[in-house]
Amino acid sequence: MISFFLAKRYLLASRRDAQVGVVALAAFLGLALGVAALVVSLALLAGFQTHVRSRLLAETPHLLVTPAGRDAFHDVDRIGTKLAAVPGVVSVSPIVRGRVWVSMGRDAAPAEIVGREKTKGLVLDVLQARPLGIVPGETVTLVSSRSRLSPLGPVPIVSTLKVTGLAPSATGRRAAEASLPLDEARRLFALGPDGATGYEVFLKDPSRAEAGAAAVIAALGPSVTLTTWEEQNRALVLALRLERFVLFAAVFLIVIVAGLNLAATSAVLAATRARDAAVLSVLGASPKTVEKVFRTAGGCVGMAGTLAGVILGAAVAVLLEKFGLVPLPAQLYGMSHAPFHVDPLDVCAVATLSILWAFVVASVPARTAARQPAVEALRGA
Amino acid sequence: MAPEAAPLLVAESLAKGFGSGDARVEVFRGVSLTVAGGDLLAITGPSGSGKSTLLHLFAGLETPDAGRVVLDGVDWAVLAPAPRAAVRGASVGFVFQFHHLLPELTAEENVALPLFLAGRKEEDGRREAREVLDRVGLLGRATAFPRTLSGGERQRVAIARAVVRRPRLLLCDEPTGSLDATHAARVFELLAEVAKERAGAAIVVTHDPEWARRCATIKLLGEEGLSDVI
Repeated sequence: MISFFLAKRYLLASRRDAQVGVVALAAFLGLALGVAALVVSLALLAGFQTHVRSRLLAETPHLLVTPAGRDAFHDVDRIGTKLAAVPGVVSVSPIVRGRVWVSMGRDAAPAEIVGREKTKGLVLDVLQARPLGIVPGETVTLVSSRSRLSPLGPVPIVSTLKVTGLAPSATGRRAAEASLPLDEARRLFALGPDGATGYEVFLKDPSRAEAGAAAVIAALGPSVTLTTWEEQNRALVLALRLERFVLFAAVFLIVIVAGLNLAATSAVLAATRARDAAVLSVLGASPKTVEKVFRTAGGCVGMAGTLAGVILGAAVAVLLEKFGLVPLPAQLYGMSHAPFHVDPLDVCAVATLSILWAFVVASVPARTAARQPAVEALRGA
Repeated sequence: MAPEAAPLLVAESLAKGFGSGDARVEVFRGVSLTVAGGDLLAITGPSGSGKSTLLHLFAGLETPDAGRVVLDGVDWAVLAPAPRAAVRGASVGFVFQFHHLLPELTAEENVALPLFLAGRKEEDGRREAREVLDRVGLLGRATAFPRTLSGGERQRVAIARAVVRRPRLLLCDEPTGSLDATHAARVFELLAEVAKERAGAAIVVTHDPEWARRCATIKLLGEEGLSDVI
């Protein structure tokens, strides 16, 4: 504690010592601004990512249950009841998924399609509708990949439906997807009234999707395959994580450069207190103790700068979010202003790394000062 | 017959010089000295004769060009920097010619500094420091910073700092320069008292004939080593 005791006295005295005071102030301000910039940047990214994630969780089933090695389930109520009884499950919906040709006039295009209980009419994704020039109210023909037997032999199952609406492309989903009522989908894909190709399961806590999947496997046995929402959107989830890491690394460079000022603080302090270092050595301080005094002094400036930066950055981010001070075109982004979300984990990571860096940087001149022969400093006094 | 106690400090054939080549200056050579517990020794000599350098060698702050210094059976030369500092802190009290107090610390904190460095609790260190300040007549100035102390007061604080750990060997480099006769006598008594505790010794470098006379032994340092002053 002697190192902290002396470091504190030196820093308090630096208010009177212009040489040390100016360098320490520059290091403090540089680090505070660098840390604040990093906190605000990460808050912005976390805000966007929270928005994307919430959209993803609203549009994507948290668990997708499909049969393992078979085409479809044929007893939807029994399996649905079992699924609904699994702890943490909020809702269970059977679905029928398949591929069709969407035909309009002389044009046709393949499309992923899914039948759900609550869907009214045929809703195409805008990416499916645009190439065929389809607008709501028009009638299209869906040609299934399944066939039925007729007196002339097997013929594709066909359905003619009116397009009731167009849906914007789903967040992060790879393929555009049309939807239609479950019974109509069962007819298109030749499934009986109890048939389904899978279940969409929503959980109370989507972050525990892995645990939910394990519970479903335990309830239904190995006859089903589980896909979590993260697995369904693997590319997007990975991209979001990578984006976070890259931004952190890029903006942390500012903190690294600002932290280098602490080396100057520590060096100036050590140079102006060389005689004190020698006296400490004469009084029995080991070179490590002397080094610790100057490293602690530099490190304390780093800690103060980091703390100030965290408070400043968090305050700016909270104000920007509260008053919506960064407006965005809502049609393009789906939100009226840039969202800021201060994640305590991000703040802790920034503060920890910044303080560690401060001590590392301050230790170099401190070590040099500690190795100076005591008598040289005393003779020079 | 009781066995003779081992000497506290043994210096053998010490030589020291500075610079190299044509600029080389030999300060002294062939300095040998044995100090036993209870000894009070004064070293005098002309300016530039190397009295301060000799004290630095005794304290393990410098390495001799030739010879060796053994303190309490331990040769300074075999000690690495960290244990050397620990031995110095525990066994040697050093009074500088120019006091060298830390300006950011109060008188009490300056005196307690060796105790803090030894790992003593702050409260205990401060209490012991106040006791020693009382012995040098400065208890009332315990919370004063060095810039507000007179030259004599600073020197008494420096002496208090040197004796606060009850070192076995006290090395004093011109300790009387800033002291009036009354305080000089009081400080000398303190140094003699501390030197006698733990069977210790004190070596005082001084130009002050009064202080030299008070010491049991007076040595004169010259180029060829130490000689007795009758």
